[in-house]
Amino acid sequence: METILSINRMSKSYGRIRAVKELDLTVKRGQVFGILGPNGSGKTTTLSVVLELIGADSGGFEWYGWPPSKESRKRIGSVIESPNFFPYLSAIVNLQIVADIKDLGYEDIDRVLQLTGLYERRNSRFKTFSFGMKQRLAIASALLGNPEVMILDEPTNGLDPQGIAQIRELILQVAAQGTTIILASHLLDEVQKICSHVAVLSKGVKLFEGMVSEVLSVSDSFELAAPDIESLISVIRRHPAFRSLTPGTDRIQVYFSTEVRPGELNMFCHAQGIILSHLSERKRSLEQHFLELLDQNL
Amino acid sequence: MIKLLKIEFKKILTYKIFWILTGLYFIFLAAGILLAEFMINNMVDGMNRHLPIPLPHVTIYFLPWVWQNITYFATIRYVLIFPAIIIIILITNEFTFKTIRQNVINGMSRAEFIWSKMLIILLISVAMTILLFLGTAIIGISHTTGLTLALILEKSSFMAGFFISMLTIQVYALFFGFLLRNTGLSIALFTLYSFIVEPVLYFFLKSPLVHENGISTYLPLNAVLRVVEYPSIPVLTKVMGISLQDSLSLSACAIPLAYAAVMIGIVYLALMKKDL
Repeated sequence: METILSINRMSKSYGRIRAVKELDLTVKRGQVFGILGPNGSGKTTTLSVVLELIGADSGGFEWYGWPPSKESRKRIGSVIESPNFFPYLSAIVNLQIVADIKDLGYEDIDRVLQLTGLYERRNSRFKTFSFGMKQRLAIASALLGNPEVMILDEPTNGLDPQGIAQIRELILQVAAQGTTIILASHLLDEVQKICSHVAVLSKGVKLFEGMVSEVLSVSDSFELAAPDIESLISVIRRHPAFRSLTPGTDRIQVYFSTEVRPGELNMFCHAQGIILSHLSERKRSLEQHFLELLDQNL
Repeated sequence: MIKLLKIEFKKILTYKIFWILTGLYFIFLAAGILLAEFMINNMVDGMNRHLPIPLPHVTIYFLPWVWQNITYFATIRYVLIFPAIIIIILITNEFTFKTIRQNVINGMSRAEFIWSKMLIILLISVAMTILLFLGTAIIGISHTTGLTLALILEKSSFMAGFFISMLTIQVYALFFGFLLRNTGLSIALFTLYSFIVEPVLYFFLKSPLVHENGISTYLPLNAVLRVVEYPSIPVLTKVMGISLQDSLSLSACAIPLAYAAVMIGIVYLALMKKDL
């Protein structure tokens, strides 16, 4: 798969604060890549560097395998932090300016306004918009001209639940057309629902990178019960992947160091003469994983 | 280049504050030009009450001196502050609204951004020069008898001086706007510098013995103001026995242009290096 964006050992400090530390990141064509992290983890800094708003202290990045240029930025639709438009200009004129800069015609403006539900207000001045409408205009400007890549920094920030659902639906539609999407968010739920890949950042360091589905499928623990809890405990301690357990009155919670399938576990117990009366797999959610990753690095 | 101008036009066309300030500038400029003679003669009348030999009334609208008289008035600091403030607002707005970030994100280079503002400055300077040229020509022709084309155009080169003053004062404003990035602060410091800091410096640097060539001549704003100097009204010249500026001096034109070039260079380097 073609590499769209590659970041190599990038670092950026603001005075004594290290915002991003030796970050490596690769985004390939067609991915919906989530950058997940709490506030201040370096998400916006990373995106600001790859859009050349700020310079990195060391390391570099490439778009489409080439050093960055204004031409590569014209092929990217971006929303970074707050929506930035001229308050006294109408939605249409603001989008015309974006189209002019990107060397696009004006024929796509109506479409993106309709997609974001702003068509009726197209002649209103930007300053008369509610925050949600401003955010949607920013997304409309990013959609302009069907870019190959979209960068969305907290795209649902400040929207009401209905607006959040609409924008997520819109992002999924755009992704389904094959557009590569890079989405920064502090909302796990959002990344889980939209993204195919995820990188978790904390204090400017990448803790984890992989497919969202992989992260979700990691089986973390099992809840087990047997008529004889004591012998179940002694048997389960002998399992080669055993890590730890939390005993309860009638059930135990068992953690393994590698992935264990429920069938295998049942056979293992049966072979040791234990008949399980209860077996349930606890899948680790991205949220738990995320919080664990953060905990380990605090 | 046309693309950049097109973008700038969109930013300005429906911007009320720009048109209000431009309107005020026009009113101030027109009122000043049309009332100047009346006010000068009022002063002359006042002085005449205490003089044994009365001074004659002056006429400032006749050709060819009208070129210098009007361009002199149009380039005093009270008038030049208008275009300077307009440019400061247009530039600092981009930082206030963060639209400079958005323009760069969308694929404008930083150099193009500076260039687009330079183009607007150039365009305003050219447009104002043409307007003032026409206005001055009309005033001059209607106040002069015995017209010849040579008489009309004699000393019209002062319009080039007006163009240089307009251009450079706006580049100074661009310098303040890009470096300070804040509208209120830029306007306050620019005004403070123009009306207090530089006049005070001028006063202390001015050599009492050498009137013409003190270091004070080289102060940035003073350099702009000296492109078109105090007019030599022939009658007063005879009476007072002093001769002031007769035509544009190349060196006086070169000094503010050199300052402007250095400022553009600094703005360019600063914008390339600094985070947006």
